[in-house]
Amino acid sequence: MILLLALAAGLLTGLVWARWRGYPYQTPELQHLWLVIVAFLPQLVVIYLPITRENFPEWLVAGCLLVSQIMLLGFAWLNRRISGMTILICGVALNLAVMAANSGFMPINPQTASRLVSEDRLLDFHPGSRFGTKDILLHPQDTRFEWLADRFLPPVWFPYQVAFSLGDVLIALGAFWMLAKPAAPLQITNRGIRI
Amino acid sequence: MKNKLALLALSAQKINRQHVQLVFVLVSLAMLVLGTGAPLDGGGVGR
Repeated sequence: MILLLALAAGLLTGLVWARWRGYPYQTPELQHLWLVIVAFLPQLVVIYLPITRENFPEWLVAGCLLVSQIMLLGFAWLNRRISGMTILICGVALNLAVMAANSGFMPINPQTASRLVSEDRLLDFHPGSRFGTKDILLHPQDTRFEWLADRFLPPVWFPYQVAFSLGDVLIALGAFWMLAKPAAPLQITNRGIRI
Repeated sequence: MKNKLALLALSAQKINRQHVQLVFVLVSLAMLVLGTGAPLDGGGVGR
């Protein structure tokens, strides 16, 4: 949700910026779009589709997640020349590293998790069990690269509580930047081509 | 009915290549960030 909000905010900023500058909005020219669809497909089946996601063992879900993320990283790398993509690549690499090091899932510690669900509900989960779609409940001492885990939270008074990682922040920033500051169109002047 | 069809045809003409490209890019970026990000809110727990 917060990542989609970053996309929406980036697009809005880009549209306003383009209008203010007086030229039409330039869509980022992503290449190899087929790859992102192929890469997302395993996650769609094992994580997002309610009909299919219950039917897979944890090890297969973890494997699909990692394979999917590696392919998505490849897609990002192929498009690394687009502004903002470098930041996004760093975020993907950080998330991939921490997930690969912790059984294929994003670790979250019980204290952080207690801000997302009630204490009673948290008792249903034991350390090492899957928590949410991509997370795994782990104590900090049992977590590899704990500083890259889902450990950040908005202030308590904020109505929407979400746990996120450093990688998520970079992914959101990269996506925002990509849509907020697309390349300006080429302008042909009497002195040549100006960007 | 005829007017509605004409209006629909006119609207379809306004959808140019850039709009289609923007939709493709937005859908691709949405898949990219959803696939690579791993934030967790309370609604995602226990699904």
